[in-house]
Amino acid sequence: MLKKVSTFLLLIIMLVLVGCNQVEESSQGEEVETEIESEAGGEVQVESSELVEATFMLDWVPNTNHTGIYVAKEKGFFEEEGIDLTIIEPAMEGAVPIVAAGQADFGIGSQTGVTIARSKDIPVVSIAAVIQEHTSGFASPVEKEIASPEDFEGKTYGGFGGAEEEAILNTVLNQHQVDPSTVENVIVGSADFFANTKRDIDFQWIFYGWTGIEAEVRGEDINMIYLKDIDPVFNYYSPVIFSSDAVIEEKPELVEKFVRAVSKGYEFAIEQPEEAAEMLIAATPETDEELIRASQNWLSPRYQGGAEKWGIQSEDIWDNFSSWMLEAGLIETEVSTEEAMTNKFLP
Amino acid sequence: MVSLRQFVRSAAPAISAILIFLVVWEVAVRIWEIENWILPAPSLIVHTLFQTWHLLPEHIWMTSKEALLGFLLGIAVALVMAFILDISPFLRKSFYPILLFSQTIPIIAIAPLLIIWFGYGILPKVLVVALVTFFPVVVSVVEGLQSSDRDMIRLVRSMGGSFWQVFYSVRFPHALPYLFTGLRIGATYSVLAAVISEWVGASSGLGIYLIKAQSSFATDKVFVVIVLISLLSCLLFLVVVFLGRVMMPWKHKSHKYKKMN
Repeated sequence: MLKKVSTFLLLIIMLVLVGCNQVEESSQGEEVETEIESEAGGEVQVESSELVEATFMLDWVPNTNHTGIYVAKEKGFFEEEGIDLTIIEPAMEGAVPIVAAGQADFGIGSQTGVTIARSKDIPVVSIAAVIQEHTSGFASPVEKEIASPEDFEGKTYGGFGGAEEEAILNTVLNQHQVDPSTVENVIVGSADFFANTKRDIDFQWIFYGWTGIEAEVRGEDINMIYLKDIDPVFNYYSPVIFSSDAVIEEKPELVEKFVRAVSKGYEFAIEQPEEAAEMLIAATPETDEELIRASQNWLSPRYQGGAEKWGIQSEDIWDNFSSWMLEAGLIETEVSTEEAMTNKFLP
Repeated sequence: MVSLRQFVRSAAPAISAILIFLVVWEVAVRIWEIENWILPAPSLIVHTLFQTWHLLPEHIWMTSKEALLGFLLGIAVALVMAFILDISPFLRKSFYPILLFSQTIPIIAIAPLLIIWFGYGILPKVLVVALVTFFPVVVSVVEGLQSSDRDMIRLVRSMGGSFWQVFYSVRFPHALPYLFTGLRIGATYSVLAAVISEWVGASSGLGIYLIKAQSSFATDKVFVVIVLISLLSCLLFLVVVFLGRVMMPWKHKSHKYKKMN
């Protein structure tokens, strides 16, 4: 009986803590606001003496999608802006809920994630597109003879467990007159493409800039069917860098400084891929160096692509993909592009 | 009637504690206006459970199958192992450390390897569940067999009982309560182990449903899965308790007898 009562009390305490944490957060926000006001008064002092702490949450293990962040950290671009940046590697569910809850200031993820979040009133906003063109697609070893979506019929697909993937796969299958029930969908998470396709899995969704390049490095021939070639609507941004409504409202200058530093980082990676690759290698010594170098060479020209500057996001791409998601049933309420993304922090 | 009243009396504190807890939770969520994606209210979780019910049987069935088959395999291996360890002190000394070592292997490290070895079918999940559940059973059965009454064994021996007769009529019945202690622990772990093994790769199961719910930030669905995992674990636990009562009627009866006195 005593045990039951104490368990019960413990649970109540936990609930109260969750409640308090929320209240605390909002009061913390106020503190920050007043701090900023005083900062505006004595700007010179603050800049020279103190760095503002900020946290950035990754979406996966460090890879060439993140190069600009690591370059900016290594080259001191964040410090120049008065930011002391901590980079955190994610848990399984990614950065969106953590940034939305205020446990991290910035995160990286896909446009889809931001849109789904917004449709559920989870307050995150995309502030920069890392790569202009969409580089993911369906890949398989050549000997599986999967050259076009028609060949998916009767095959086994290895998925990563994303919210959008089943809807996208089914749309692609329906467009090519393949019955989705003939394709078995096994969630393999982040398990290795090369190990999987030697066993039960026939094709997987990969990012060419990483796994595709890995195949090149290993000398394994793969068939790659790019999403953007299947249907232009799938040319959405992945990845994007995002922040939360609260951070954007309460510390807009932090966001601006952060984006400025990150832009410099990616611009450096565009101009000097070799040197940028070495900085990423230094930050993540566990990863294959050759893969990082090759991937960086492939990705560097694609960060900015044909856009006028790095990071810019087209409203059309957001509009089109959001309405596709609504049609496909991925989101239940319409998401306005204005709320989901902004270019205003780009330098 | 008497038993019903007894049941109500014994279950009342637990039920009222749970009810109060749920009410406090619900009220807390409403007072502080905690958003759904941070902590959904119990009423929303129940609502989501009914709304998504048509999606769930497939996943529940898969996870139950993995948990049950794995648990049964774990028990079978445990019984054989316990018997072997019991008959030879030498084997006991040499294998016990290995058994202990098997429990220190992190599942999160071994599960992806099992998939590389055995593929994405049900086998690697069953093996993970078996690996997790067999240990408490082996340990308790060995202890039970070792601690049987020496005088009883001598008595049966002196009456001309063979090794098997001693084992069957004295030592095994004596070890039964120990076996069920191990089974109860194993039962609570098995569903959880099945869910974790699904995370590494599967096409259905509560673990997969959990991944999908998390990737679309549906915290209410995450809680539905938590509730289902708890219910399945409790159910398996109760089945083990029930089987224990059926298989060891003397234990249950003597308990009642003492009470009557």
